[in-house]
Amino acid sequence: MTSAHTTEQISETTTEQLIKLLVAIMPNYDDTFWNADTELFGAIAEFDSMALVTLIGEIEEHFDIALDDDDISAENFASVSSLTELVLERS
Amino acid sequence: MTKVSTQVEFYQGAKGPLCRIIRTPEQILAQLLFIPPLFEQANQTRHHTTRSAINAYHQGIKTIVFDHYGTGDSAGELIDANLALWQQDILQQLTDIKASSTLGIYLSLPLSAVLLLSDEILKQVDGVMLLQPDFNGKRFVLQFKRLALAAQLTKNNKVQNDQSIHSQANQQKIIEIAGYQMHADLLEEIVGQSLSKLADFNGCCYWFEWQAASEELSPGRVKQQQALTKKNSGLSIKKVDDGKFWQASELQIADSYLRQEQVIFSQIVFSPVHSSKSEIS
Repeated sequence: MTSAHTTEQISETTTEQLIKLLVAIMPNYDDTFWNADTELFGAIAEFDSMALVTLIGEIEEHFDIALDDDDISAENFASVSSLTELVLERS
Repeated sequence: MTKVSTQVEFYQGAKGPLCRIIRTPEQILAQLLFIPPLFEQANQTRHHTTRSAINAYHQGIKTIVFDHYGTGDSAGELIDANLALWQQDILQQLTDIKASSTLGIYLSLPLSAVLLLSDEILKQVDGVMLLQPDFNGKRFVLQFKRLALAAQLTKNNKVQNDQSIHSQANQQKIIEIAGYQMHADLLEEIVGQSLSKLADFNGCCYWFEWQAASEELSPGRVKQQQALTKKNSGLSIKKVDDGKFWQASELQIADSYLRQEQVIFSQIVFSPVHSSKSEIS
């Protein structure tokens, strides 16, 4: 197995785990709604400040990582894929 | 469904009248005081607290649901509240309950409510029910302060750069986060609270932990459970495979949790502490 392949797998797994967290916070969107390209910040009405902070807490706990204040940006929370990148950077 | 005997009253707390709802069954077998968690969590858990209180009532448990001073329907402003005051109000309620009844007293502590515990409070009770407890005051406050950052982000599309909101919150005496105006000291007091308060507690301790059957517990939660298991021989951990209803953007009912809690209620009323005791209301 190549390292690129492994990195891709890790990224996919992280995305899947993030989607599970998002579904728990916004259960009114079913599984078919969520994928790596799903936009978050500014695109989903329910993704408000409370949901955002809840998600941060869940990410920190689930992935055992710590996020900084600087990580709380529109860019990082723009989509599931940008969030995946953030989690992988901090892991 | 039989009618639930419910009484809504204002009683005198240390600084002002507090609103409480008392549900008293005909034959009382135990007593349960629901401690509201902090800030928005009080709203997020209110629905389940009511369900739990009604379920407990049907098993012969007298329940009391109240609002802390400066919150909900109680008197006062949050800005005039502090941790010691809230703890004093809880202690006063427990002392009053104890003075009028010899039946067992239990606390229901959802989420951050556990941060309100003190040694004095724990001395007054026979058991505690923890619902996904937030033992880490520092982390709780960090998350709460992040609400201000996130609100700013959703408002302006960017966070404040020149000075972090965390440092502002530390510098100013009065702060406002997510519409809650409070004294900065209140958050500092909460930061100082931790798991250690339950270390010497010898009563029953039921811990409801939300964990999907297919998921492993996060390392942080494992550590907390291990720490308390070492210290408290009466600890019983119950896994709950439900959605975290307090986090969901729409109402969710945690059926598995409510079912498991009812089992605990039945154990409480038949526990050796007060198995031969009951009181008629």
